[in-house]
Amino acid sequence: MTANKEKRRVISRDAARRRRQVESEVFVDLSRLLPFQQSVQDHLDKPSVIRLTLSYIRMHTLLKGKTGIKVEASHAVKCGQVMESGQEWRGCDRGRDDEEKKTDNVEASEETNMFLRILEGFLMVLSTEGDMIYLSDNVSKYMGLTQTELMGHNIFEYTHPCDHEEIRNNLRLTAEEVWCGAKRDFIMRIKGALTHRGRSSNLKSATWKVLHCQGRAKVCVAPSSVSCLLLTCQPLPLSHTLLSTHTFTSQHSMDMRFTYCDQRMTLLLGYSTEELLGRSIYDLCHILDTNCLTKNHLNLCFKSQSVSGQYRMLVRGGGYVWVESHSAVIPSVRPSKSRPGAHQPLCILCVTYVLSGVEEPSLQLSLDQAVHRYLR
Amino acid sequence: FHVDKKDVLVEENHSGSVSLPSLMTPSSAACMSLSMEMPRKRKGSLDNQDTKSSSIPDADMEDDQNREPHSQIEKRRRDKMNNLIDELSAMIPTCNPMSRKLDKLTVLRMAVQHLKSLKGSASSFSEANYKPSFLPNEELKHLVLKAADGFLFVVGCDRGKIVFVSESITKILNYSRAELIGQSLFDYIHPKDMGKVKEQLSASELYPRERLIDAKTGLQVQADLPVGAERLCSGARRSFFCRMKYNKISIKVEEKEFQASTSKKKESQRYCTVHCTGYMRSWPTSHLEVDGDGEPDKQDSSYYSCLVAVGRIHSHSTPQVNGEVRVKPIEFITRFAMDGKFTFVDQRATTILGYLPQELLGTSCYEYFHQDDLPHLADRHRKVLRSKDKIETDCYKFRTKFGSFVTLQSQWFSFVNPWTKEVEYIVSTNTVISQTSRSEVKSELSSNSKTSEDDCNKSLQVILGISTTPGAMIYAGSIGTQIANELLDFNRMNSSSSSGSISPFSLPQDKCPQTHNQISNNVPNGGATDMEIPGKSSSEDEPQGAAFSGGESLMVENSQLDLDSVVGPGLSSLSNDEAAMAVIMSLLETDTNLGEAVDFEEMHWSS
Repeated sequence: MTANKEKRRVISRDAARRRRQVESEVFVDLSRLLPFQQSVQDHLDKPSVIRLTLSYIRMHTLLKGKTGIKVEASHAVKCGQVMESGQEWRGCDRGRDDEEKKTDNVEASEETNMFLRILEGFLMVLSTEGDMIYLSDNVSKYMGLTQTELMGHNIFEYTHPCDHEEIRNNLRLTAEEVWCGAKRDFIMRIKGALTHRGRSSNLKSATWKVLHCQGRAKVCVAPSSVSCLLLTCQPLPLSHTLLSTHTFTSQHSMDMRFTYCDQRMTLLLGYSTEELLGRSIYDLCHILDTNCLTKNHLNLCFKSQSVSGQYRMLVRGGGYVWVESHSAVIPSVRPSKSRPGAHQPLCILCVTYVLSGVEEPSLQLSLDQAVHRYLR
Repeated sequence: FHVDKKDVLVEENHSGSVSLPSLMTPSSAACMSLSMEMPRKRKGSLDNQDTKSSSIPDADMEDDQNREPHSQIEKRRRDKMNNLIDELSAMIPTCNPMSRKLDKLTVLRMAVQHLKSLKGSASSFSEANYKPSFLPNEELKHLVLKAADGFLFVVGCDRGKIVFVSESITKILNYSRAELIGQSLFDYIHPKDMGKVKEQLSASELYPRERLIDAKTGLQVQADLPVGAERLCSGARRSFFCRMKYNKISIKVEEKEFQASTSKKKESQRYCTVHCTGYMRSWPTSHLEVDGDGEPDKQDSSYYSCLVAVGRIHSHSTPQVNGEVRVKPIEFITRFAMDGKFTFVDQRATTILGYLPQELLGTSCYEYFHQDDLPHLADRHRKVLRSKDKIETDCYKFRTKFGSFVTLQSQWFSFVNPWTKEVEYIVSTNTVISQTSRSEVKSELSSNSKTSEDDCNKSLQVILGISTTPGAMIYAGSIGTQIANELLDFNRMNSSSSSGSISPFSLPQDKCPQTHNQISNNVPNGGATDMEIPGKSSSEDEPQGAAFSGGESLMVENSQLDLDSVVGPGLSSLSNDEAAMAVIMSLLETDTNLGEAVDFEEMHWSS
């Protein structure tokens, strides 16, 4: 009896082994079909193979599927049906031989690479559930994790829990938003496994990296309705921006009161440094922009970096200019001048770009413009 | 130096690539020997963990993992795999019609078939010479440009000649490439921004030092860059905004987006604000086909310097979550300090009230309110300082410059500094209900003059809840000051409640503060001496509880800005101190990208 049992056991063990072998072979077949170099394919584990296969299929569906009327129309324009004198749209594949296609391919690739490099960011395609269906391969430069490690995973696994609500809000797309290619612009914190010198480390020593995400919705209708967000994700560097005559820097305490500003502020807006110290930025701006400034301030408080939208700063003596600020929270260097004796660990650094000339120079809207110093 | 390892691999494979050895440091050379493209088979990585936790992984989590029975880990792995298989079968067309659930092997086999069929249609996808990219390059390019709403452009530094521009510019500025290439960029820039752009394009001879920001200190530093006629700050980064022309025959939708940046004057040309970021580059002229008009003076210099940049339309003038304050034509907006003095007056007020903003600024709103309306407005004033909600006033009369009254109805809310939680000012959205006609005005004026001073005083006293010596004049403006002072005293006494204890003097929001008022008037420092607040002079150290009694949570759902939707519900349940610590900790943990090295890699350009 035991001999039979033994035999059966051996048979079932062999069968299992064979099944596993067959399965492994299919996994290898599948990995070979994925658009990666062989060295990469060889090292993918089974869940990764499936994950990347899913990404591939989803991207294919998104790009090749039948799209809506609006998109088709623009696609027709793109395909050279509206020809401009002497310029052919290179995107169209019709009537081109392989050599030309190859050149176009290379050029497209170069252009994209250059674009992404200058932008200093990577591309992310997010499904409405938050799956990172696609990431451009330079993502490793910013996150320390490669495209193959990340693609197909869900963004909520990699972002700061306090930002999840905002991300969810941005992923929500109404039908109208989708068709019009609604825009998105938000800041989120993502895990970054890069050391200070730019080398990849691992997830265990990951820190939070602040990313500015901008983009729009995209949809395709058939065979199944798929909508997603196309986003460029950029870290927000302040360190190597060349400052022009139309930008100025300022430092603030965490409540956005000025603790320092450079001389350009005086040239551009007319306020002297002394006048501004201790003054809140909210006093200096047009009332309709309060929401914009508040959102900026909150981003700074919770995510440590922010890009404001365009808002209006009042000019001393009358009128206002449109500006945009890029800000970050940094360890405080100087004690707060407005409140001597109180030293805080953090302060806000802003680089503000002036976008317009002085508008409505004769208009005095705020008390600060009219009076030399507004004392609270 | 941070050498982009990926690019090293890519460019080695490209035909005609640039030599990189000059950029490689010994450490990066070591990196090169490792195969960097491979994803590490992740031990304890997310594929094997079921956890959806997104806090920073640390050693503790791994310890927990090891203590789990192996069977649990196995089960999770199996479940994960099964989920993936299910997802896969949902995506494959041939799997879908099957009524029963397919086994793993079949799904995998069908996936193989499906991929083969997909790849069949893509032509230049799997070229042996090139590193395969996940998406066809054309598609990727379109995706990137669509997401970024941007265009690539290259302009020569000396004259601003547009050497290259990507096709996406047609969708953005509505000009064709043919129209632009060879033209001067300055023809398309707003006249007032020309100086700015010239400066950005200029060589460093005119601006021998660059102003950069030192990431560590936030201070500006002068950077000494090698200034040589040949190199011309190659690699130097540029970032600026400028207004660019766009072709008027544009899609209507886009006009709305340019609202914030369009010039108010009726110009024939319309502009939009473009954010340009890029790098200075110089190439030996022998490498480039400088097409178009042969420039004789160009042939002298051996290098042609350009700005290679990306231009993106900036159209976010309103934050995503909260819409802009909607303003209708018969509305105007004003801002008061806590004591009711005008600190900001929207220019629309002039047509309605007759006053120029500067005539109102600094004066108290109470001086313009009709006497009959003073009590209810004072009451609203008190309410708004203590509440995060929008407070509606009843209709009331506001005295215009001409002596007549307009009937307004306003919505007030106190704007609170997100960090300190203190009230900065009150925003008032004022709607005109009706304009009083002249005939009514006369009877109003006469009736007003009949009111005796004493009556006036008496009603003001009632509002303020104070008793003064008879005959002393109370000015309407002092109402506002008084109300503001109430709040300040209230806050001072209650600031100890930030640690949770309730002050004996703290009052529920809506209770009439008259009794409290008397106390605050008679005892300047507010009540019993044991309420002295130790050392809390600065409100910067941590956000303080404002005018609320101790039990309330730090972040009340408020209508002016829905904090939960913006920043997440995480902090609602914490007390003030905990919340402040949480914020500071989180900020210190974040890598603010300030330490990143600049990538000075050479870029290959094939024209």
